[in-house]
Amino acid sequence: MELAWLIPVLSFIAFPIIVFWGKRLPGGGAPLAIGAIAAGFALFWVALLGFLAATPDTEHCLTDAATGTLACNFQRAWFNAGLPGLPDSVALSWGMTIDPLALAMLGMVTLVALMVQIYSLGYMKGDPHFGWYYACHALFAAAMLTLVLADSFLLLYVAWELVGACSYLLIGFWHERPAAREAAKKAFIVTRLGDVGLLLGILLLWREVGSFSMTAAFELAHSGEMSHGVATASSLLMLLGAMGKSAQFPFHVWLPDAMEGPTPVSALIHAATMVAAGVYLVARAFPIFQYSGDALMAVAIVGLVTALMASTIALTSTDLKRILAYSTISHLGLMMLSLGAGGYTAALFHLLAHGFSKALLFLGAGSVLHSTEQQDIRHMGGLRKAMPLTALLFSLGAMSLGGIPILAGFWSKDEVLSAVSHGLHPVFIVLALVTALLSALYMARAMFVVFFGPSPESEHHDHPVHDAPLAMAAPMVLLGVLAAGFGLISFNWPGSFGGIGSFLFYHEPEGFHFTWWLGILSTILAVAAFAFGYLVYVRKSLSLEGFRRSFAPAIRVVERKYYVDELYQWVVDRVVMVFSRFIALFDRAVVNDVLVNGPANSARRLGVAMRLHVTGHVYSYALVMALGAAALAILWWWRVA
Amino acid sequence: MPGLTENLLLLTPEFALTGLALLVLAVDLFLPESRKGWLALISIVGLLGLAVLSVVMLQGREETLYGGLLAVDRFALVFKVFFLGLGVLIILSSVDFVRKHLSHPGEFYGILLLSILGMNFMAQARELLTAYIALELLSFSLYVLTAYARSNPKSNEAGLKYIIIGAFSSALLLYGLSMVYSSLGTTSFAAIRDALASGAGAGPTLWVGLALLIVGLGFKLAAVPFHMWAPDVYEGASLPVTAYLAIGSKAAAFALVLRLFAEGIVPVVDIWSRWQIIVAVMAAVTMLVGNLVALAQRNLKRLMAYSSIGHVGFLLAGIAALGPGDTLVANGIILYLVGYAVTSIVVFAALIAFFNHTGQEEIADLAGLADRQPFLAAALAIGMFSLSGLPIFAGFTIKFYLFTAVARAGFLWLAALAVFASFISLYYYLQVIRQMYIQPAPGAPPEQSHGHAAEPPPDSNAHGAAPDAASAIPSPGWRLALVLGLGLAGVFWLGVYPAPLVAIIEGASRAILPGG
Repeated sequence: MELAWLIPVLSFIAFPIIVFWGKRLPGGGAPLAIGAIAAGFALFWVALLGFLAATPDTEHCLTDAATGTLACNFQRAWFNAGLPGLPDSVALSWGMTIDPLALAMLGMVTLVALMVQIYSLGYMKGDPHFGWYYACHALFAAAMLTLVLADSFLLLYVAWELVGACSYLLIGFWHERPAAREAAKKAFIVTRLGDVGLLLGILLLWREVGSFSMTAAFELAHSGEMSHGVATASSLLMLLGAMGKSAQFPFHVWLPDAMEGPTPVSALIHAATMVAAGVYLVARAFPIFQYSGDALMAVAIVGLVTALMASTIALTSTDLKRILAYSTISHLGLMMLSLGAGGYTAALFHLLAHGFSKALLFLGAGSVLHSTEQQDIRHMGGLRKAMPLTALLFSLGAMSLGGIPILAGFWSKDEVLSAVSHGLHPVFIVLALVTALLSALYMARAMFVVFFGPSPESEHHDHPVHDAPLAMAAPMVLLGVLAAGFGLISFNWPGSFGGIGSFLFYHEPEGFHFTWWLGILSTILAVAAFAFGYLVYVRKSLSLEGFRRSFAPAIRVVERKYYVDELYQWVVDRVVMVFSRFIALFDRAVVNDVLVNGPANSARRLGVAMRLHVTGHVYSYALVMALGAAALAILWWWRVA
Repeated sequence: MPGLTENLLLLTPEFALTGLALLVLAVDLFLPESRKGWLALISIVGLLGLAVLSVVMLQGREETLYGGLLAVDRFALVFKVFFLGLGVLIILSSVDFVRKHLSHPGEFYGILLLSILGMNFMAQARELLTAYIALELLSFSLYVLTAYARSNPKSNEAGLKYIIIGAFSSALLLYGLSMVYSSLGTTSFAAIRDALASGAGAGPTLWVGLALLIVGLGFKLAAVPFHMWAPDVYEGASLPVTAYLAIGSKAAAFALVLRLFAEGIVPVVDIWSRWQIIVAVMAAVTMLVGNLVALAQRNLKRLMAYSSIGHVGFLLAGIAALGPGDTLVANGIILYLVGYAVTSIVVFAALIAFFNHTGQEEIADLAGLADRQPFLAAALAIGMFSLSGLPIFAGFTIKFYLFTAVARAGFLWLAALAVFASFISLYYYLQVIRQMYIQPAPGAPPEQSHGHAAEPPPDSNAHGAAPDAASAIPSPGWRLALVLGLGLAGVFWLGVYPAPLVAIIEGASRAILPGG
């Protein structure tokens, strides 16, 4: 199990090698990146089996009182400033925690990253920056896996920023396109807003706890010795970071724009892994959130608002990737809602199921884009005939997220709804059900329009549309299997495995539970939504024109994405720019001219003076030395006498 | 004094090193011009063998030789291995340079080996005269090495300046030494300590003598205001010699100063506590002057000279913060020396590789290096980041350790000043990186540098394959590549996992600071 530290490190090693020698490596360095992540996936199984065999008596392992689960901690001293045991010495360490939460994320991240990297072999073939693409992927995988394994908030923060930087690089991968550059910048800046909160929250915790160790912080919260105000403040600040990363309202604006990046990147970073880091952070710091209570309520509200808002926008968007992006935001909101309701297992189960399904959907969308070079669903249709495999797999993913029974998304969404109905006010479950319905609707719309609807006659493809090549098809098939069957792990299987709730839980192991009325209701909603979509977009026997006309103003608001982007622009123009102009003036006049250039200029003048002073005049050096000696002797005398 | 020649065996590494130097000088006479590369090989193999020999023979020994003149202890051993290893790296990075730019390689390597001998004795000396002789052995070797490029007028001038100022400082040192002797009647560190503690011989003569001693050592360290020779000499000397001056001679001088203070002065608490401020002021002035003047430099060697003066200021802050029995500060100083050496060797090896091909040494000449030779640029950038003290590189670890130790010893203001000075230094280190990554290569088409300089690797990937044929620089030879690889590995290792090294250094500190 201790070998788990190699999982991120292998990818870290691959990164510089591909950067420097990528051109000379076979396949432009891609096999190296894939090999590193594949080894990481293999090591995940080693770690998982090791963990399953571990008991509280195993070395390094103990039952964590704050979370009630078995956790294994491994640490290596980074360095001690001071001798161990001395009161003022500062000890920093690299460390990892392996517990069910970390293992679940580890498995998902390594698997999806591996699938996406293989897929990219086909998708990015012939790109001039092929090597750099894989180098970024390796760095991202390394950073993301470090984030998941980190045992201290400091390390988590470092990895957190690093995944943000990788996301920036990959969104702006086609930096020749202005839109990609803008999107990369937007993503970076908006998430940084949240990150400031995260850093402040971490520092606040550090002041309270005295170390960056997560275990220590959770212990303090669990035992009730942490000040309640600090717990609330720090968890709200951390929530800000989580909202930035997981694109929660009002920080959600960066994610749709991030679709400017290559589609496999959207699948990996902006659907399955990095954007889930916010949910992961809240789950990881759950003892503190729960201790605070108020913070948990804030999580629920943020999640619900985001889920509802994003799912309505997804219904009106006409860009295939943006539909998926808003769907991601909405589902991340559902996970937050579930966490807010105390549904720890449900949220993480949904995180995994959504990760596989959404990655599949993005890879399917990528396959469509790859062959049609078209992103607007109004120009698509009837692709089922040209690309049957993609159509099948995309539909599988769409139905899974839409909540059609026995597919993965059905089980996980049902757990989430069940948690919400138990843990929160009835208003929440009603709105959550509305979200579920909307989610099924937009999924049905995307799926039926693109693959099953009539093909638009005006379109003439210069080259025949083709299905995905093998390198792209194989990962999609595997993710498809997971999107279909992953829900099965929630059951109590005969034998030793008691369902995911017995592995990934908070305090109390959870059996499989199924709230019948919710399950039936959500099934009805989902099936109705898909049937409705079929009638509207395939059979065309229903028309939305009347609806559109009567609700035109409301639809307009949704189409304009509730004017959040405009609001940001206004704030930036009217407030930030004015303020920053003032700051810039201050910076130029005071900081730059006086504080920075001032010394540099005087130093430069001093340097010039010295140069004039020194040429050939060795005796002047001796003179200065002699004067210095005299000054030193006088100083000495003064100190001694 | 029982048996002056007793236990001479413990000096075997030094005897062998002398023999090695003589062997290289002798073999040189018989080697044809085309085979001079053998000399470097002999030196390297010899030094590596000696390092192993020293560890095997002297591990765990705590003895003194010649009635207390020389120490054979953990401290000496750590520094001995450090110097021998440094010698290997310096020779490895000089080979190409020597072949291209210097004549008489045999003497170059032979004199280098003799200077290492001087450094070894400096780390072992427990008596002022012995220390002085060791220091002079090092200094004379360095005078010769500085002036080695005979056809280069700058080198000659630098050598001349160095020897004149060096002679002046030696005179001051000797004068101070004689004054200390005349007032205390002894020159051994331990006896100085006892005499100071008993208060005998206190008076103006002693203070002036000690002040002159500090001046002489301050010259070796290039501490302000005894630093003015350094930029001229660094600039005039050949690059490998500059590297050696910046790393080796400085580390040896600090080894000597550290032992002198730790064994001779620090244990006398009431006197030392009054003197600390003197060293602290010197440290503060040194770090400020070094880092501020570095801002104005255009020549890479002069930049490194002022930067190294700045680092001396940090190290002096450590000396000022020394306390009896407190190994933390001493650890910090030794760790800093190692980390600084590892980082500097990366920077200098990259500069040597650059110079070997282009013959240029101005900062502006580095323009576009990221496109012309990505590996060198990356190595240099990592070196600069590390020197400025950014995390995951050695520079962060050593600065964090030393400054924390200084702050803990009660010199919070000095630690804060050091952090501030480090912050200033970031500016000129980044200037170098900016030059390599943002400025276009000379003669390169302008669009090569558009916009995305914040992500250097894609640039190098995108354009590295087909840079201008005239501006492209071939990869460094295997020797320099080896030095760079080892150095970079060291930079990362110290940045990520210095704990084992700190454990070794702890032993060294305990040897000179008993009762910790």
